[in-house]
Amino acid sequence: MKIIVGVSDMKVSNDPSSDIITYSLGSCIGLVVFDPVVKVGGILHYMLPESSLDREKAERNPYMFADSGIPLLFKETYKYDAVKKRMKISVFGGSQILDQKGFFNIGKRNYMALKKLLFKNNVLINYEDVGGNVNRTVRLEIKTGDIFVKTSGANEVKI
Amino acid sequence: MTAIQLLIKDIKNLRPVPAIANQIVDMVDSPSVSMNDIAQIIQYDPAVTASLLRTCNSAYFGLSNPVESVKDAVAILGIDKVVELALLNASAKTLNKSWKGYGLHEGAMWKHAVSSALIAKDIAKKLAHGSSNTIFTAALLKDIGKTVLDKFIQISSDKIQNLIEQDGYSFIEAEKKIIGTDHAEIGAMIAKIWKFSPKMVNIIRHHHAPDGTIDTGIDVAIVYLADCICMMMGVGIGSDGLSYRFHDDIIRELSITPNDIAKIIADFTINMQKVEALLRVV
Repeated sequence: MKIIVGVSDMKVSNDPSSDIITYSLGSCIGLVVFDPVVKVGGILHYMLPESSLDREKAERNPYMFADSGIPLLFKETYKYDAVKKRMKISVFGGSQILDQKGFFNIGKRNYMALKKLLFKNNVLINYEDVGGNVNRTVRLEIKTGDIFVKTSGANEVKI
Repeated sequence: MTAIQLLIKDIKNLRPVPAIANQIVDMVDSPSVSMNDIAQIIQYDPAVTASLLRTCNSAYFGLSNPVESVKDAVAILGIDKVVELALLNASAKTLNKSWKGYGLHEGAMWKHAVSSALIAKDIAKKLAHGSSNTIFTAALLKDIGKTVLDKFIQISSDKIQNLIEQDGYSFIEAEKKIIGTDHAEIGAMIAKIWKFSPKMVNIIRHHHAPDGTIDTGIDVAIVYLADCICMMMGVGIGSDGLSYRFHDDIIRELSITPNDIAKIIADFTINMQKVEALLRVV
């Protein structure tokens, strides 16, 4: 079964027959977590770094922002007995338009917000494919924990 | 035949956006034209009227009484919305296809077009810029050149990707270098042949802001920014990815801050489900 994570969305599953997939990450970040022991995994697809931008929107859709979405992704996997220190963490997206620098660089700011939050919570990133000028589609296979990435114009590859 | 002659032949064979779209666009932003005049024009085109009424009566709008005429539609939804829907209906068939050269699956170009049109109009309104309907339409049709260039891109995609990866070209610079023209130039040519206003032609021609300044006009800058925002959000992007140039000077001259951009993204995301629903009913 294919479980689709939309834009500003999150899905978690422990169903071994399912694949979780998120399409077309531009400057957004796709955060993929997987606990190989209980075989539960999930993807969060957020668009912006900080919920302080608009509290009301963050309440309506917490998955839009890094700081409100990331804790929810972890908490949801704990419901399926996932354990933080066993979790494999992979990060995708955060692309930028050519010459997009400084404060206008939303891709970079999205990535920095994630790094900061994970660091504060003692979580290490196991794999990352971020930045550049490409868009990425990411798929997580729950049965194996394997992750597949498709970059603009190229075929899907297993990482 | 040379490549350029082939291209021009292709333009002539292109299924045009119905003439009514031109008429509406010319009229909407002209202060001397009344909204009733526009409703009149729409109702004389049976195909556009039929699809407009179908859209109005879809679950998307959730109206309690069915809309039976363009006049009804204007009364209930307002002329602005009706013009928007008529333009969407007029251009859907041309844009809603898959384009292999650009790596756009079916519906991707359409989604990008509609999203950037809605965002551009939103920015135009925020900046209190008068020509919001011209801007909407130009943003909607800005990539029309891709429909003609697609097969040339398909043949040359390796060379183009090489220039981008090895030599730091943007996608559109690589198009120009390899094919001798680019999708903005071809788009402007199409717009001219279809007799769009000089303003529309200008926006389509410069929508990637090739000279990096705001000199080509505020309306161009607005459409440029809307396109950049869609790229960042990953809406309907193909093999060209985000390989276009970002000019912070242009954005600054519009007095748009990074926070404004984030707010536009947040607003659009909240409305995304509505937009997806709109794409299904047009």
